[in-house]
Amino acid sequence: MASETGPELNPDTTGGRLRRYLNVERYLDETTSPRRALLVYGLLFLYFAWFLVPVIWLALSTVKSGAIIQADRLIIIPSAEHFTLGHYEQVLTNPQFIRLFVNSTVIALSTVVLTLSVGILGAYSLSRFSYPGRSAILVSFMATKMLPPALIIIPFFLMMYSYTLVDTYLGIILAHSIRALPLALWLLKGFFDDIPQALDESARIDGCSHFRTLVHIIIPLALPGIAVAAFYTFVTSWNDFLFVSVLSQSGTTRTLPFGLFLFQSQNSINWGATITAATITAVPSIVLFALVQNEIVEGLASGGMHGE
Amino acid sequence: MTYENTAVMSSAQAAWQEKARRILDEADWYTRETWVGYGLVIPATALMLVIIVYPTLQAIWISFHQRSFLHPEQSTWVGLANYGQLLEDPVFATAFIHTVIFTVGAVGAMYLLGLGLALLLRHNLPGLGLLRSLSMVPWVIPPVVIVIIWTWMFQVDYGLVNLILVQFGGPNKYWFGDINLALPLVMMLRVWKDTPFVAIALLASMQSIPDEYYEAARIDGAGNLEQFRYITLPNISYISMVMIVIEVIAAFNSFQMIYIATGGGPVNATEVLGTYVYEQAFGQYVLGYASAVGVVMLVLLTVFTAIYIKLENTS
Repeated sequence: MASETGPELNPDTTGGRLRRYLNVERYLDETTSPRRALLVYGLLFLYFAWFLVPVIWLALSTVKSGAIIQADRLIIIPSAEHFTLGHYEQVLTNPQFIRLFVNSTVIALSTVVLTLSVGILGAYSLSRFSYPGRSAILVSFMATKMLPPALIIIPFFLMMYSYTLVDTYLGIILAHSIRALPLALWLLKGFFDDIPQALDESARIDGCSHFRTLVHIIIPLALPGIAVAAFYTFVTSWNDFLFVSVLSQSGTTRTLPFGLFLFQSQNSINWGATITAATITAVPSIVLFALVQNEIVEGLASGGMHGE
Repeated sequence: MTYENTAVMSSAQAAWQEKARRILDEADWYTRETWVGYGLVIPATALMLVIIVYPTLQAIWISFHQRSFLHPEQSTWVGLANYGQLLEDPVFATAFIHTVIFTVGAVGAMYLLGLGLALLLRHNLPGLGLLRSLSMVPWVIPPVVIVIIWTWMFQVDYGLVNLILVQFGGPNKYWFGDINLALPLVMMLRVWKDTPFVAIALLASMQSIPDEYYEAARIDGAGNLEQFRYITLPNISYISMVMIVIEVIAAFNSFQMIYIATGGGPVNATEVLGTYVYEQAFGQYVLGYASAVGVVMLVLLTVFTAIYIKLENTS
C-alpha cells in the first residue's frame, strides 16, 4: 500500500533501509514529501523551543543548589554535587506555603461545586426546554464575559464590604464562580445538546421525573463534558490573581498566585524558593489538563464552539 | 337501549374522554414544562444578576461620584467631573494608546502564529499527536507562574536569555526594565500563553474539513497556496472570527500578567487601562475616577461586540 503512493524507494541504500525500518512510507503521501516533513519538523522545533524551553529551564533550576542557581555561566543540568531537593523541602515545609496551598484548594474545589451545581441545572434548562427569553438568557450570560474585571471588582468589593464578606472564603468563591459560570454553562449546554433528545424523552414517558432524568441519563452521558467544565472552573479559580488581591486582606484567605506575588516582591534574591513554589503552583493545573485534554480539544471542535 | 348499545356507547365515550384527558394533560404539560424550565435556570441567572449585572450598573453610578476606598460609605455626587478629568489626564491617554497597541499587536501575532502552528500540526507525521498535547502547556500555566518564569529568564547575569546573549557578545540587562522593550515583552507573554489555544481551535476546525475538497482541488491542479486560499481559509473563517473576538476582549481587559510583571512601569511604559483602573482604585483609592476609566473600557468593548454581532448577522 505504501510503496504505491510513496516516492521512489531504493532498497539498497542506507536511507532506503532506514525509511523501510521506520515505516516512513506510512506517513508520506502526495501531500507530504520528505522535504516537506523536514521543514515541518524544523519549524515545529522553533515553536516548541519557545513554548517549552522556559518551562524546562524553570523545572531544572528548582533542583540546583544555591551555589549555582544564580551562576553567571550556563549550567543546564546540575552535577551530582550541585543537585538538591532542598528548595522543595524548604517550600513544602513552610507553614505559610501550606496555608496558601490549602486555601487555593478549598476555594477552587468549592467554586467547582457551586458553579457546576447551578451550571448543570441551568444548562439542562437551556438545552431541553423552550420558553420565551431562552436565547436571550444564553447570550446575556456570554455577554458578561465582556465586562472588564478591573471595573467589576470595584462595586463587587463594595458589595462584599457591606455584607462583611471581605477576607472570607465565601466572598472569593462567589467572585470566582461568576467568572467561571458563563463559559461553564455554555460548555455544558453544548455537551447536553449532543445527547439525543429521544433518550430523555423516553425516560420521561416511562415516568421519570426531570430530576431523575437529569441524574440518571443526562449527567452520566455528559460526564466527559462535565469534566471539561469542572477543569475550566477549577483553573479559573486556581489561577486568579485580581479578585484575591482585592478581597483577601490577610493570610487566612490568601491563595497561591497572590501569595507568590507577595513572596517574590519581598524576596527578590531568594530565587530558589520562588521558582520552586511557582513550579508547585503550576502542577495541579497541568495534571488536571492532562486528564481532560482529549475532551478539551474535541470540545473546541464541537460542543463549546458552535453557537445557538 | 339494549345492553350491547350501552357498551358501544360507553366505549365510544371512554375513548372520547381519554382523548380529552390527553389534550388537557398536554396543555398542562406545556405550561408546567415552561415553569420547570424557568425554575432550573433561575439559580444561575440570579447569581449573575446579583453579582454581575447589579455591580456593573453600580459601577456606572459610582463613576458620577467622588468616593474613597478608605471611606467606602461616603459618596458625593460630582456629575461628569470624573469624565472631564479623564480628558486632561496624560496617563489615561498613554494607557489608552498602550491598550490599543497591546490588543492589536498581541491578537494579530497570536492569530498568525496560531494559524502557522495549526497548519504544521495538521500534518500526518509521527510524534505530532504528542506535540499537540504539549503545545497547550503554556495555556494552562497560571499567569503568575508565567511571569515568574519569564522574569527569571531575563534576570541580569544569571537569567537564561542574558547567559545566551552574553555568549554572542550581546547586552546583559533586565529587559523588562527597558522602557522601549517592556511593552513588547508583556505582549510576548500574552502571545506565548494564548497562541496554543488559538492554534488548537483552528486545528480542530481544519480537521473537520472533508478530505474530498482537497482531493478535488488537486485534481483541478490547485497548488498548496491555492488550496489554502480557497479551501482552508473559508472553512476556518467562522472559528477565526470567534477566536479573534474572544482574544480581543481578553487582551483589551489585560491586567494580571502586566501588573505582576511590571506594575505598569517602567515610567508608565506598560500602563494599560486595566492596570490603570486597578492602580487608581486600590493604589490611589479614588473609586469614582477609577470607575470612570472602567466605564470607558466597558463602552468601547460594547461597541466592539455590537459591531461583531452586526457583522455576523449580515454575513
